[in-house]
Amino acid sequence: MITQRVGTEQYDYDVVKMFTIMSVIYGIVGFLIGVIIALELAFPELNGGIEYISFGRLRPLHTSAVIFAFGGSVLFATSYYVVQRTCKARLFSDFLSRLTFWGWNLVIVGAVVTYPLGLTQGKEYAETIWPIDLLITVVWVAYFINFVGTLAKRKERHIYVANWFYLAFIITVAMLHIVNNLAIPVNLTDSYSIYPGVQDAMIQWWYGHNAVGFFLTAAFLGLMYYFVPKQAERPVYSYRLSIVHFWALVFLYIWAGPHHLHYTALPDWASTLGATFSIMLLLPSWGGMINGIMTLSGAWDKLRTDPILRFFIISLSFYGMSTFEGPMMSIKSVNALSHYTDWTIGHVHSGALGWVAMVSFGAIYHLVPKLWGTTTWSVRLINVHFWLATIGIVIYIVSMWISGVMQGLMWRAYDHYGNLTYSFAETVGAMHPYYVFRAVGGIIFLVGALLMAFNVVKTIGNKTVSSVRVG
Amino acid sequence: MSDKSKVETTGHQWDDDEGYPLKEYNNPLPKWWLYTFYATIVWAVVYWFFYPTWPMVDDYTRGLLGWSMHKQLDEEMAEAQVQQKPFNDRLEQMSLADITRDPQLQQYAISGGKAIFGDNCAPCHGSGGVGSLAGGFPVLVDDDWLISGTIEGIQETIQTGHTAMMPAHQTEFGGAFTASQVDDLAAYVLSLSGREGDKEAQARGGVLFKGDAGCVGCHGDNGKGSAKDTSGGSPMEKTIGAPNLTDGIWLYGGDAAAVRLSIAKGRSGRMPAWRVGSEGLNRKLSPLAVKQVAVYVHSLGGGQ
Repeated sequence: MITQRVGTEQYDYDVVKMFTIMSVIYGIVGFLIGVIIALELAFPELNGGIEYISFGRLRPLHTSAVIFAFGGSVLFATSYYVVQRTCKARLFSDFLSRLTFWGWNLVIVGAVVTYPLGLTQGKEYAETIWPIDLLITVVWVAYFINFVGTLAKRKERHIYVANWFYLAFIITVAMLHIVNNLAIPVNLTDSYSIYPGVQDAMIQWWYGHNAVGFFLTAAFLGLMYYFVPKQAERPVYSYRLSIVHFWALVFLYIWAGPHHLHYTALPDWASTLGATFSIMLLLPSWGGMINGIMTLSGAWDKLRTDPILRFFIISLSFYGMSTFEGPMMSIKSVNALSHYTDWTIGHVHSGALGWVAMVSFGAIYHLVPKLWGTTTWSVRLINVHFWLATIGIVIYIVSMWISGVMQGLMWRAYDHYGNLTYSFAETVGAMHPYYVFRAVGGIIFLVGALLMAFNVVKTIGNKTVSSVRVG
Repeated sequence: MSDKSKVETTGHQWDDDEGYPLKEYNNPLPKWWLYTFYATIVWAVVYWFFYPTWPMVDDYTRGLLGWSMHKQLDEEMAEAQVQQKPFNDRLEQMSLADITRDPQLQQYAISGGKAIFGDNCAPCHGSGGVGSLAGGFPVLVDDDWLISGTIEGIQETIQTGHTAMMPAHQTEFGGAFTASQVDDLAAYVLSLSGREGDKEAQARGGVLFKGDAGCVGCHGDNGKGSAKDTSGGSPMEKTIGAPNLTDGIWLYGGDAAAVRLSIAKGRSGRMPAWRVGSEGLNRKLSPLAVKQVAVYVHSLGGGQ
């Protein structure tokens, strides 16, 4: 199609389209596996005795599918889209763009094949075995060069805030991935971490927590900083706030990992340090929420008519809630109750479903008509998706809160002689109804995502609108 | 857009190809945000003075409170000890029979025994000793005891464990009898608890039971099990642990197919030894813990 604007060069929208489509597909796959393992927890016999689909093997597949396949594809798609449009420059290298697309998908295929076979290095959110780790490194370096190369050849003097967040995410994830996966291979599928004992645990949770901090928080804040003002047609609330909270966030987040290892072999000092930095992280995290929500101020009426904005506002609300909950749970005395319980699972999902998935859905609905130069097939269906997703999340989180707090209280309940009141098996039995509710919440959320896929397909097939420029 | 908004923004503008361009206001930091942020920093710094925090060259700052998680554990354990020690001292010294005569001490032992039972014994014997759906693990709430239902006998079984082996009888499983002979034996065994069946088969099975198959050696002359019956007219060794076949209570299932399978392929069961020093199990129970579990199991309903 012919571009009508002056002073712009053609953008590479093809790679953005490819990642956008994969994000919809991987989202559904990830949510579906989540529903399956939620049902396996409620009804353990569901795996039929087949080890390949047992909870222990599907669980990393679920987490990797939603974080790295779904979330990763959303971030590749949006960062490539945002950096081009805010720099007025085509992506640095078509070759590197394709390398990142095919390489990332190959990584995901590798995870899908190895996890059910039980091939894992046993590190949470870093289960992939060393040959796949190497491939991830190659893809990530290509991503970094492609992103920075695009920034370097930008035609705008200033770098837009969204790009700082994306860049911080790309650099930090590279560092986290490489340091956490340093290992000595013993054959094609097995390796030994170079860190001994508790140091390995500390490195793992330094990685794990910052995967949350930079993959699921900073990068999606970058997404938010582009799509919220764009969709609301309002200026970002405060440039100053964006600078201050950006630097505070990236500086403080990196210290918070030890709060995953309270009351373990980890030394006391590391534990305290992690907890205090987690508390200091609260307001820097909220900076993004304030900037997002205040950007909408003056445009509240649009929430009535624009379900995409609704996705953004609810995602920012969940973001604010879970970034408040997180520091609270990092305090040792709270953690002593919450750790190892379903409360943690509820917390993670209020962030992952409420913030990451909701803000991603909004971005996908914004992107698809622009990329394909069409109009949205059904705004009403977006609204239905919004309500299904919201209801599903609330059911999920509330059941995990109840289950988690109950579990924590049952584990520490003593009778008047000072003996434990409940056996572990009794606490497991008590969780059953909440596991059923959780699965129901997940199914409702999944149905919403299926509606989105349908809407996306119909939107792509909709009649092209000539006034909208296509790559 | 109005002139006003132009004045308020930083003046930078991005992505103005189509639609609304990206712009930024430059509002000051919200006061409440800034001061709360400062407050968390102050809180953290104060906290660092009180708790162990910063690594130094060969040590770390210990904090003014002298807190450590090991110290916290020791203190909480000591607190629990203060409460439990008087009970434990008496439990250790007193005989099981005396314990059951002291209601308060018995209640204490049941409370501790229940907790220990829940995490160690319930996986096989079921929550509260009601048995396992899968079968093969004795129910502990009835008065049908394989070995002994006295409190001392229960204590002994917990300490030393028990291994019981019912041999295979059918030729293809390593036994000495044909499939039809096994059918006959099964018919006889079922008749012991009053089940209807082919009288001739039952009669043939009865001859085998008391004769060549040697069942009476373990299950007793009348099939009432090693705990109650006699064998060849003389009392039986109770530790054989062979079940009573006449009471309608079944260890591995009481339908005809399950009974036949037990005879054909045999069964073997093993209760691990729990006393400290026994082999084959990672978790051990102290003599005090064994005592508490014995009191608890004895109290479940079937204690003799």
